[in-house]
This record gives sequence, C-alpha cells and structure tokens, in this order.
Amino acid sequence: MNASRTRLAILGTMSDLHRQPISYDLNCLQKIVADVSPDLLCAEITKEGWEQGDFSQASVEVREALAPMIASMDIVMIPVAPSPKQYTDFTPDSGWRHRIVRNFNRLLRWGQIWANDVMTINGSGFGAFCHTVCWLTEMFWSSEDRALWERQNKQLVENIVHAVQRDSGRRVLVAVQCQRLHSLMPLLKTHDELFKIVAYQNL
Amino acid sequence: MALNEIRVSVGGGRELDRAGLAALIASLPGLRVVPIEKNPPPQVLVWITTRDTDQYPAVQTDTAILLLTEGAAYESLPETITGLLSKDESPATLGIAIRQVARGEQYLSSSLVTAILQKRQAKSGFTDSETSIINTLTDREREILELLAQGLSNKLIASRLYLSVRTVEGHLANIYLRLGVHSRTEAMLMAVRIR
Repeated sequence: MNASRTRLAILGTMSDLHRQPISYDLNCLQKIVADVSPDLLCAEITKEGWEQGDFSQASVEVREALAPMIASMDIVMIPVAPSPKQYTDFTPDSGWRHRIVRNFNRLLRWGQIWANDVMTINGSGFGAFCHTVCWLTEMFWSSEDRALWERQNKQLVENIVHAVQRDSGRRVLVAVQCQRLHSLMPLLKTHDELFKIVAYQNL
Repeated sequence: MALNEIRVSVGGGRELDRAGLAALIASLPGLRVVPIEKNPPPQVLVWITTRDTDQYPAVQTDTAILLLTEGAAYESLPETITGLLSKDESPATLGIAIRQVARGEQYLSSSLVTAILQKRQAKSGFTDSETSIINTLTDREREILELLAQGLSNKLIASRLYLSVRTVEGHLANIYLRLGVHSRTEAMLMAVRIR
C-alpha cells in the first residue's frame, strides 16, 4: 500500500519478572506500547491461541498487559509465536544440568531485577550480560532443546517478516522476551531490504 | 514518541450516565475527557441518546459526533453525525469507535448496520453495472468489502486480515472511489446487495 520503508523496533520484555516490584512492570510496558502506538504489534502468542481468544498459554506480557490494552486502540496484534513453549520451559527436568541452568536463570533474574528499567533492559551493556548468561545457559540444554529454541526463533522471525511483507511501510513493534534478543537481532538484520531496525523510542 | 491524545467530550443522557461514560473514556489509553466548551474544542463528542429527544448540540465543524444509541431509528447516518455506537457494545469497542470517528471515518455498530441495511435494501435495486464495478476490485478490496458488509469496524477488519488500520483505511478509500460511493453506509449497502 505504502511505498515508504517499514520501521521496526524490538522491545525486550521480562515475562513473570514484570510482576516483581520493579519500575519496569506490566504498567510500564503498557505505557511504552501506548506511547509508541505502533501500527502492528508482533507479540508472543500463537496464531491459533490468538484467533480462538485462548490466552492461557500466551506469555504473561500478552495475556495481562498487551492484549487487554490494545483492545481499545488501533494497534493490530500480529501473533508470531510458533509454539507456546517459552524460554524457561527449556530448563532440563533434573540432574546436574538442571541445577546449573537453574543457577544461570537465577543470575539472569538477579540481573533483570538489578537492571530494573526499560532503557537498561534494552541497552547494550545489559544486552552483553544477558547474551553471555543466555548463551551459557543454552550450552547446558539438551541438543534437542537447543535445536528447538533456534528453530523457534527462526520461525518467529519468519512470522515477523511475513507480517512486514503483507503490510509494508508501517511502524512495527516486536515485543518479545529479552532472552530472545541475541538470537533474533542477527536474524532480523538479514532482512535489511524489508525494514529498517530502529530503537523503540524512535519508531 | 508521546501519544497524541484524542480530546473527547460527553453529552446528552442523564448526569449519572455522563459521569460513568466520562470515567470509562478516561480509563482508555490515548483518550482525554475535556469539557464540551473547552478551547481547542473536543475532536469527538460522544452523545448519549434518550427516548425523550433527538436534539443534538451545536458543535464546531471539526468535532465528530458519535451517538450512543439503543436502536437504529435511522436509515443512514444523520448528516451531522459521524458514528452510531450501540449501547450493547463493549468498553473496548467504544475506544475503537472514538478513534475511528476522530480520524474522519464513519463508525457503525454491526447490530445497527443490519437494521439500517434491512430498511434501505427494500428500497433499492441492483444493476448490472454494479456487478462490473465490483469485478474491478482487487481480491484484497473484495475481501475488505465483504467484511465491511458484515458490519465490522476498521480495527476488526484489520485484525481479521493482520493488516494495520491505516492500510485498511487506504483500501476503503480506493473501494469508495471505485464504487462511486461517498459513505460507509452506501458501500455497505452495495456490498450486501452483491453478496
């Protein structure tokens, strides 16, 4: 419809940590999205779940903040999650791998609580910390889980790309768990011809 | 980055109705309730209809009027009215309707659309030239026209097709142009007839 180039921004979210007494809580997330007011909001809920109105397996951000908020706004939700499985679901069930991954998750949670604001969570310094902890964590997952996580992120990017191709020239905000950022960014950057990635404040 | 708030006033009805509606509108993101006499004037006036009167206030020409109504006593939108919202609709739909009329679009609740179309359908015929015009529409435009005929708002059409509201509005503008109609009601009427 519009020949101008799509602008796309990524907003890292924090799942159940948004419920902690931190400044980057679900209200803050809602305010950011309302202020940015994108044309399209790509978020972590499966297409089936979204179309059936079944939010039970959607991420907490979608279920409790984003979906209720955009219901009265002109923002259109694009469900991009390929499956309901989220980052913490990849924790091994038992054994030494389970203990190590649990400790890394604690470290990540500590980091997220310490960071405690949207600018830091989405900033490069915290990104490097997050990237390192997530990368180490993933090393202790089973090879099947690692492959599944990678496949999931690739499908998620494909769903974003399809949304952009269907409706080019729009302002697109991708709100995904911050654990995905280090996987998604390189994949999204390969689609430079389709959209320009900008900071969410500049969308 | 700051959201451009839409200024909304509430009028008509009884005091308690107005207070409740104003509180609801104020709770929706991006909407701000202002007094009707405020300068600059409100972009949208939500007017609660009552059975006793069909008088509407005189407002500035750039203020859109959204009627909150119980039934379709109309055959199309009265000239000064931009939208008709059924009192059966959800609070979220109120937000959608306000945004739609604030952008200069018409809004009609689907339940009211059905009633309006039924009243008008009996009066109008269906010509061969209309069929040929419909055939000139693209697949996407026909898809949107079909959803329009179901009485869906622009937001619901956009959500159904996973397109932005702006894109749907662009398609609708093309559809109106090609069909040679000037309003949402006329486009709906034509769409219903060719179904």
